[in-house]
Amino acid sequence: MPAPGCFHCGEALPEPPARLVLDGEPREFCCSGCAAAAQWIRDARLDDYYRLRSQPASRVGTDNPDLAAWDREELLAGHARDVMLGGTRGREITVLSDGMHCAACAWLIDRALQRDPGVLETSANAVTGRIRIAWDPQRAPLSRLLARLAALGYRPYLAAGEERERERRRERNRALLRIGLAGLGAMQAMMFAEALYLDTRGEMPLPTRDFFRWITFMVSTPVVFWAGWPFIAGAWRELRLRRPGMDTLVAGSTLLAYFASVAGTVRGSEHVWYDAAVMFVFLLLVARQLEQRARGIASAQVDALARARPAFATRERSDGSRESVPVSAIAVGDIACVAVGEPVPADGVLLDGEARFEEALLTGESSAVRKRAGDPVYAGTACREHAARLRVTGVGSDTRLAQLVRLVEQAQAHRPALARSSERIASRFVAGLAVAALLVYFGWRLHDPARAFEVTLALLVISCPCALSLAVPAALAAAHGALARLGVLAVQPEALERLAETTDVVFDKTGTLGDGRPRLQSVDRLQGLDAAQALRIAMALERDSGHPLALAFVDAADDAPVATSLRAVAGQGIEGMVEGEHWRLGQAGFAAGVADDGGLWLGGARGRARFTVAEGERQDARAAIAALRQEGLIVHLSSGDGDAAVRRFAAELGIDHAHARQSPTDKLAYARALQADGRVVAMVGDGLNDAPVLAGADVSLAIGDGAALAQRAADLVLGGRSLMRVPDAIAVARRTRRIVRQNLGWATAYNLLALPLAAAGLVTPWLAALGMALSSLVVTANSLRLARMRAR
Amino acid sequence: MNILLLLIPLSLVLIGVAIWVFVWAVRRGQFDDLDTPALDILREDEHDRPLQAPDPPPGHADAD
Repeated sequence: MPAPGCFHCGEALPEPPARLVLDGEPREFCCSGCAAAAQWIRDARLDDYYRLRSQPASRVGTDNPDLAAWDREELLAGHARDVMLGGTRGREITVLSDGMHCAACAWLIDRALQRDPGVLETSANAVTGRIRIAWDPQRAPLSRLLARLAALGYRPYLAAGEERERERRRERNRALLRIGLAGLGAMQAMMFAEALYLDTRGEMPLPTRDFFRWITFMVSTPVVFWAGWPFIAGAWRELRLRRPGMDTLVAGSTLLAYFASVAGTVRGSEHVWYDAAVMFVFLLLVARQLEQRARGIASAQVDALARARPAFATRERSDGSRESVPVSAIAVGDIACVAVGEPVPADGVLLDGEARFEEALLTGESSAVRKRAGDPVYAGTACREHAARLRVTGVGSDTRLAQLVRLVEQAQAHRPALARSSERIASRFVAGLAVAALLVYFGWRLHDPARAFEVTLALLVISCPCALSLAVPAALAAAHGALARLGVLAVQPEALERLAETTDVVFDKTGTLGDGRPRLQSVDRLQGLDAAQALRIAMALERDSGHPLALAFVDAADDAPVATSLRAVAGQGIEGMVEGEHWRLGQAGFAAGVADDGGLWLGGARGRARFTVAEGERQDARAAIAALRQEGLIVHLSSGDGDAAVRRFAAELGIDHAHARQSPTDKLAYARALQADGRVVAMVGDGLNDAPVLAGADVSLAIGDGAALAQRAADLVLGGRSLMRVPDAIAVARRTRRIVRQNLGWATAYNLLALPLAAAGLVTPWLAALGMALSSLVVTANSLRLARMRAR
Repeated sequence: MNILLLLIPLSLVLIGVAIWVFVWAVRRGQFDDLDTPALDILREDEHDRPLQAPDPPPGHADAD
């Protein structure tokens, strides 16, 4: 099957592409790295990968990362631990990779690594982006294994540390064990309870009945206290903070049903409710786990990549030789060397010559910025075209990057609090129930003292707010499932509730509404040649330049001549020979000898022309904005770009509120001003410069292919490139809110009906069991309707 | 009804075994990866094809 792009990664093919014949089929690749990876995969007999995968691989590229640093003891000491596997002493490390897109990637990584005789055990997880490798250092250096990963397009990053990774796994296993124990225990307790329920005419001898009750007690005790511990601990925390919420309600009703049953068992009274207590713990654990899993998937990846930093930097010794040292060893005053494509390890001053740095992480500007000797260079930016040397002026928390991160954290801390409706309802319900129970108890004391205790217990248990406390978690679990299917990952727990309240959506331009790719807008100021000729020449010059602007000219003309003796002049443009004539393309002064006007000029002996190049909009930006409008939302545009570009963009997309030249702080102030007017602001952005406003808005959505730090600051991360996910996510959130309200309404109605019956002492075990099961079922079934939502 | 005295402890033993098996499975990492094992049955059988140890990928030999 001839693919339109690279056989391995699916990206656009250069001219000429790398070619390779695999199993008799000619294949085309975007770079020699992808070709080598495909060749290796075939030779390793792992080419099933291409059939199994559901997403294209990531581009391998041609720059070989230097992985020798991974063998150094000071790195391994903090990140690897000693293990004993099958009689062999080895070490184990967890690395992160951002290239894993689907399960087939994890499959390929496992198989590829296991080919190496030095590998003891591996497990790759595409969902969390983590690869665990256990290897024998005697037989294989870690760098060799990682070089293999890198050659397949999975560049390794350092995870946060062995201790934290182990803690993460332990946490997950504990949650699984709790659910397992709750499920098995609940099943067994239900079975014993069934025996008691089936004795409808009370013919069971008392000793048998009590025997059953004590056995049920034995089975349900670990379920309530061990499996249900998260709820009890949560309730304790809430009570200590004097903010009773969902956990108080859940733990309260479980413990109530449990202790009421214990009292019933000891006193030999009419009812026990062990089954209710254990079922309740089990159902809520499952609902909570589903929701947390959906969020955990998002945050595991986002968080990890945001923390992944260059582990090593190159330092120049005083005698001019170079050494590789951990980033933490770099100090102010050192001289650091940065290779092309590598991130700058610390803030510093450029020492010699000229270099270009891509500051997208800081400013969102995707084209590289030219710096001269003496200019400041910031940590986290990437070096382009030339290797650079810099004198370090700021490290660690003094860097610009660290300051931005702090700004994000501050903004997150000062986010306006939307009261959580479920918690409000829960605490009111608890208070109301306590009052009702007291009244009923004293009422019955006057009326029939012998039954007072029992009736009060029955009242508390029957109104046991099963349905009420299931109402929210069940809906949230279903909604997170629906979101995940849409390709939206909710990172923060309150994201959905806030999203449903949204009134205004603020978009960033570059990389968010725009696709970050330059597009040719117009050709004018022609002199001596016509537009078609100008385009042909420009296309020829740009095609092999590897310049970011080259994308604008990809389809400029049908056939372009070949440019020869091409030469790039840093910061000015390119020049070369086209069809025997000498042409220059770039800044006005360089190419055409006229005053610089910000346009892109083509100039030569024969004539000149000016091109206007602007960022194109994302494919579905228009549709997404229309959909948002239809939902009654106000759309704003807030961008760091110049006035003209922003205004043109806003006009094209029909956005009324557009603001240009906004710094990160301006954007945050803009969101704050809207919030001060009582609006609920959703921010959509992609770059690190958006990170503060993403954290400060009521709810924020980060684009999946944007900066990792922006995703960490956001509440929701949109997978893929489609902007339609924004209105989709808002629709899900609103629907969730509606369903939660229905659930709460139903639970309240049930309680209003059940309470008087229980207060009157009319509740039989049959009625109680039926009522509780039915109310919980209705709530769960109603919530499941959310899971059916599909993308538009 | 005396049979209950045998059956109920028996059921308790069974649930104990079930829980033990589950704990064992979780501890051994059986639930760590639920996606890739499913792909294994989709690939062609290994013994139908000659197995050869592949060379390290070209271009990265320097890291060896």
